[in-house]
Amino acid sequence: MTTDVSGVMRPVATANGLPNDHYVDERVFLEERDAVLYKNWSGIAVTADVPENGDAKPIEFLGMPLLLIRDKDGDVRVFQNTCRHRGMILVSEPKKIEGAIRCPYHSWCYSTKGELVATPHVGGPGMNTHKDMPRSELGLYEVPSYIWLGVVYINASGTAAPFEEVHAELLERWKEFDLPLYHGGEDSKFELEVNTNWKLAVENYCESYHLPWVHPGLNSYSRLEDHYNIEEYGRYSGQGTLVYRQLTGQDGETFPDFANLSDKWDTGGEYITVYPNVLLGVQRDHAFAIILEPKAVDKTLEHVHLFYAEPKVDEALRAKNATQWKTVFIEDIFVVEGMQKGRYGRGFDGGRFSPAMDGPTHCFHDWVANQITSHRQQMAAE
Amino acid sequence: MSELQSRLLVAHEKDDRAGLIGLYTEAADRANDLIERSFFLTHAFVFALEAGDLRAPLLRERLREMGRI
Repeated sequence: MTTDVSGVMRPVATANGLPNDHYVDERVFLEERDAVLYKNWSGIAVTADVPENGDAKPIEFLGMPLLLIRDKDGDVRVFQNTCRHRGMILVSEPKKIEGAIRCPYHSWCYSTKGELVATPHVGGPGMNTHKDMPRSELGLYEVPSYIWLGVVYINASGTAAPFEEVHAELLERWKEFDLPLYHGGEDSKFELEVNTNWKLAVENYCESYHLPWVHPGLNSYSRLEDHYNIEEYGRYSGQGTLVYRQLTGQDGETFPDFANLSDKWDTGGEYITVYPNVLLGVQRDHAFAIILEPKAVDKTLEHVHLFYAEPKVDEALRAKNATQWKTVFIEDIFVVEGMQKGRYGRGFDGGRFSPAMDGPTHCFHDWVANQITSHRQQMAAE
Repeated sequence: MSELQSRLLVAHEKDDRAGLIGLYTEAADRANDLIERSFFLTHAFVFALEAGDLRAPLLRERLREMGRI
């Protein structure tokens, strides 16, 4: 299955969107897994998933078994959750590693830094070494990872340029937010299971065009003309607002601001996709991340997390904020599920983009098309 | 040994990791030969290592002195 993505890479005014098969065909889904999600820096979790040293959480990302762990020195790492001996899954549920990770099969043990530290009976009963089993060469496979704004990104293929290099412009754009972010805790995370291809969630998030129609509640204070497009071809895209208004509690209380922000953020907010699958939002007093977990070609799990400037912020206000965002994100579900259904219409040609309003969405399509093209060229050369 | 064996089985059934460390150490201390002793010590050591138990370094040292690790 090879789709024609050349029409996607035309200028926005004449481009078509990605062909239907990119939303409905299992083979293309697998191609995108390799070309787009594995070869780039994909979000898989938040550091708050492993808050304390020794916390370990198994994660499956597009079929790849991973182990998210905070090692004994407090560094968050990602390993393949697979024993180097016979390939057994090491950790099957979230747990605290008090000393070592012990494989439940033959009890090979690994440190929280991935080193192989015990190979019981490997040389025969009661003999724990063997000359052909060099422990120093048999540590866990560590997956390249990077943490930014509380989100853990991995490069599953191990072939991408460093995160700081790939996302240098975005890191510079939001450098004011590169400070400790505090996850709001259990009441500040939720999941939405959506019957849609993961890309449609990105596409909808990137543009403000739909806001007055799908989120009429925003119209009273956040009009379409108060928004601007963010479109950096080949890098990232999204939207910004000029009229971000802080949430207030019953007595007028607000969340504390992030420290030392410039005036731009007094009423500004920006909502950007870190390609391929992390939707981030930043405002003066809180941030959020939506990690898109593609479960199947037509199914996506959205992991939503809210972050604040201080470890303990007002509980009632925090709950109100989570409810408000959940309402907005739920309002988007019928759209992304409807676009998914629409892509089974055989005559649909990927659609057209409004040159004025859909630039951020086209920017994402163009990036995906380039990733796929590059992958195909590489596969053909090998 | 059968009484100890029973206690070991109960500890395994209860997933009593701390208990297993002591019971396997006890089994090693009662063992009649090097292989049997190192076998049980290995189990005690592995469970101690997993638990981050303070006995782990000592058990490792015993295995090292026996040339088993």
